Amino acid sequence: MSAVLAAPRARRREGLRALVWLSPWLVGFAVFFAYPLVATVYFSFHRYDLFTLEFIGLDNYRYLLTDERALISIGNTLWLVAFMVPAQLLFSLGLAQLVTRLKAGAGFFRTVFYLPSLIPTVAGTVSFVFLLNPATGPVNQFLELVGITGPDWFGDSDWSKPSLTLLGLWGAGNTMVIFLAALLDVPKHLYEAAALDGAGAWRQFRSITLPTISPVLMFSAVTGVIYALQYFTQAMIAARVASGSTDSPGSAFVPGYPEMSTLTLPQWLFHAGFRDYSMGYACVLALLLFAASMAFTLILLRRFRAFDREVS
Amino acid sequence: MSTALATRSPAPASRSRARRAPGTRGRRTLYWIATHALALALAIMFVAPLFFIALTALMTDQQALTSELWPKTWNWDNFVTIFTGSPLLRWIGNTMLYAGLGTAFMLLSSIPVAYALARFRFPGRRLAFLAVIAMMMLPPQVVAVPVYLIWARAELTGTLWPLILPMLLGDAFSIFLLRQFLLTIPKDYTDAARVDGCSDFTTLARVILPMARPAIAAVALFQFFYCWNDYYGPLLYASTNLDNWTLSIGLASFKALHSVQWNLTMAATLLVMAPVIIVFFLAQRVFIEGVTLTGVKG
Amino acid sequence: MNRRFLTFAVAAVAATALTACTAGKDGAPALGSQPKASGSAAAALPAATIELWHGFTADSEVKAFEDAVAGFRSKFPQITVKLTKGVQDDQITQAVRGGSAPDVAASFTTDNVAQWCRSGVFQDLTPVIEQDGIDLSVLPAASRSYTEFDGKRCTMPMLADAYGLYYNKALMKGEQPPKTLSELTELAKKLTVRDADGTIKVAGFIPSVQYYENSPSHLGPMVGAKWYNEDGTSAIGSDPAWKKLLTWQKELIDWYGHDKLDRFRKGLGDEWSAEHPFHKGKVAMVLDGEWRNAMIANDAEDLDYGTAPLPVADDRPELYGSGFTAGTVIGVPKGAKHPQHAWELVKYLTTDTRGLVTLSNALRNVPTTKAAMESPDLKKDANFQTFLDIFAHPKTSTLPSNVNSVFNQEAFTTFIAEWEKGSVKDLDAGLAGVDKRIDDKLKLSGG
Repeated sequence: MSAVLAAPRARRREGLRALVWLSPWLVGFAVFFAYPLVATVYFSFHRYDLFTLEFIGLDNYRYLLTDERALISIGNTLWLVAFMVPAQLLFSLGLAQLVTRLKAGAGFFRTVFYLPSLIPTVAGTVSFVFLLNPATGPVNQFLELVGITGPDWFGDSDWSKPSLTLLGLWGAGNTMVIFLAALLDVPKHLYEAAALDGAGAWRQFRSITLPTISPVLMFSAVTGVIYALQYFTQAMIAARVASGSTDSPGSAFVPGYPEMSTLTLPQWLFHAGFRDYSMGYACVLALLLFAASMAFTLILLRRFRAFDREVS
Repeated sequence: MSTALATRSPAPASRSRARRAPGTRGRRTLYWIATHALALALAIMFVAPLFFIALTALMTDQQALTSELWPKTWNWDNFVTIFTGSPLLRWIGNTMLYAGLGTAFMLLSSIPVAYALARFRFPGRRLAFLAVIAMMMLPPQVVAVPVYLIWARAELTGTLWPLILPMLLGDAFSIFLLRQFLLTIPKDYTDAARVDGCSDFTTLARVILPMARPAIAAVALFQFFYCWNDYYGPLLYASTNLDNWTLSIGLASFKALHSVQWNLTMAATLLVMAPVIIVFFLAQRVFIEGVTLTGVKG
Repeated sequence: MNRRFLTFAVAAVAATALTACTAGKDGAPALGSQPKASGSAAAALPAATIELWHGFTADSEVKAFEDAVAGFRSKFPQITVKLTKGVQDDQITQAVRGGSAPDVAASFTTDNVAQWCRSGVFQDLTPVIEQDGIDLSVLPAASRSYTEFDGKRCTMPMLADAYGLYYNKALMKGEQPPKTLSELTELAKKLTVRDADGTIKVAGFIPSVQYYENSPSHLGPMVGAKWYNEDGTSAIGSDPAWKKLLTWQKELIDWYGHDKLDRFRKGLGDEWSAEHPFHKGKVAMVLDGEWRNAMIANDAEDLDYGTAPLPVADDRPELYGSGFTAGTVIGVPKGAKHPQHAWELVKYLTTDTRGLVTLSNALRNVPTTKAAMESPDLKKDANFQTFLDIFAHPKTSTLPSNVNSVFNQEAFTTFIAEWEKGSVKDLDAGLAGVDKRIDDKLKLSGG
């Protein structure tokens, strides 16, 4: 059998084998990805409360433009992308840099910095609301000791997002571990050469560290943004626990306490779809979220494509 | 390539750099003190929350409402009260069911897919991989409405099955991570197995699985903790049925059920955290290696 | 190859999923669709276990509810009732829409009644009410109105809440409870105790809508304000009464200082705990529901207090004595497995005098039928009688049913919070904005 003939047939056979091996996942892809996306577009043109379905054209889209809450939630989500993500990245990078410089107990510190990132989200958030409780929480008491009247943290609309960012920094250990590995992959001789040339610490960081770890930085930035776009649990729990009064039996819980400052787009989507049963409108919000996350995913895909070629 | 998975202590790297650093012995000592003092200060700040949670968990109801930080009496029975006062055991059971079955199903379905994506050459291979990434990046809320409808029609809302069953069809993140690892296994091994007449299946079982053990351990742990921590999923599907609440749902409502008893809330919080912390200390290497694998390969 | 497979799979799934678009299970036949069995109902119904969801959480409340249900059990020994406590409206709605409904569900609020009736989450009880010949005129008009929507009676009132003024006699310094808003302002200022720097120690009255029961729906009846026009659109911007209320409220808040009041409010104990500021003597007067009587009896029995109707607008003296009322509603969800059994239980809990009196005595809520209110077994004292009178007052009103009731109240409350803060410059424009939000939302939900 000549090689010319064998190659396509082998490839076809391999394709068939792959199809068999991939089939469960392909079903999953169809049922939980492809179909829902199509259906989301379909429902976005309808009024649907799980009982009756009615075509209403672009009304859901029109409502988006007048829905103050949606605009606020988009603003809050963008705030997280613009401030929380960079803060987390910088902090993780700083931590990783610090750990590489430690001569004693580096492993210990790495463990300590990493551990909080494993703490279950709900538990971590409940704890932070307690720690930052304005009247009785330890943080404000320590601030009091040094003569500072602490803010109302999760109870103040100006401080609620920074408080969530603090919670995010506490869980930055995951990214730190990634950066740590990247920093240790930077070839040592580059630093040695730079040091001989008389480059200072900042020059070394700018011209050696940063270019070498930039792919990792990029990856973490994009996943960080995608994560920020999905931000849900922490904001929801913080609002729930901090707002106390909305916990009363019977009263409907409205996310975003205080004053809508923690209302993120996924929360408003959830509220529209599964509390208000305006499912068509929820689908419009979903498409908005989809567009945003796709834009960032494309950036990531471009990186992966380059990587994929490298491997194969 | 496989060095990515070897634990590397950061110490040697910095040691070699420090030796080259210009400056006197005095400056070096000062630098040593400064970095370690900073690290120690940060470490204290990282651990302090856990410390205060534990202290509050041991206070009396009344004291927990005050601004005092140190328990006047040590109320260990708070940990008993939370079990008698709320269906904590049931929540733990449900969470274990979700996390345990979810992880088992995920492994069962994702390993073959990752293997096929890493080893087979077929048309559309790249496309399939891109689809995995797209699924991984998709915020779950985007498709929430139609997916919810599927489960509502199957009459499975109100249970945890809508979260467990899809795991039989593969989990994008785990597939991605496993594939990245399997690519690092030299092709010679599988080729050798092929020459010995092994089928795809036996190659996977005899050659790949033993070599991929660290990566499999990592995805299993990640999946288990993902389920353990998940709030959004159980909120969407299981919160309507109190019998099917998980720990995260229960904990989120704990303060409401126990009208602001911070001590009990903190005791329950500790209880939710404890297994995670224990497993981490038992399997620290697996975690760190797994995290490294997700990031560095990018 | 796999692309073709994918197209096929998507098409197949989409075809099955998009054609059948109604989730939720119909379960047993709907109420009233079968002719009534002859003979006494008790004998006719086969044995069954039915599930009831309710929102009570406190041990005493849960027990009271169990006691009331025990009366039903003695009447229908073949029916076992399984009670689930602490259920919120969201859970009921989601369970019914998701197809896992209980047989009977009760809610503390009337906020979702319109939505439940319109969408069919709760079954229309009209056919069985007619079949069983129940005379609804035993219920006061307000209670009848908050349990139905658009001609569909899908819930029944179980117990009612009425809202009035509680005052701490020790802190009142011998003053009588205020009858008008200006008297309230004057007295609130007089009774407030502040530090030299303005920090509030004891507040006379907290006018903020963010304080516990001070929701716009509870405050509105003080000025006779209207929520909706005939067609369901918002009347908030066009009814001058709201403006009057908000102006009064802002004046008092500014007297305290918004930030000072905010700080004081956030430092107060939880509404549902023994730490409630009224129990602790931190506020002299509060707007609250009749249930506060029971809580005071439980948690602060030494508190010397009195109750009165809420003060009213100076130019609407005829409103004095009325107030806001709403209450617990109960009904049979769509998809109930034993709807006929469920209806018997609903009927018992909402119309049986003995059952209502048992519940009322235990929970200290207002019983909803006239017979129960006049029952000699009903425990009452002067403080509780105030609320029975408010409930029976002809001008007492409720929040009209609206499919977006929760959304609308929330939109209004959020606006008022901004107004209290001082960030609203033009009140008329702001209220018009609230109107627009409510009307836009009404259009979206197809009202």
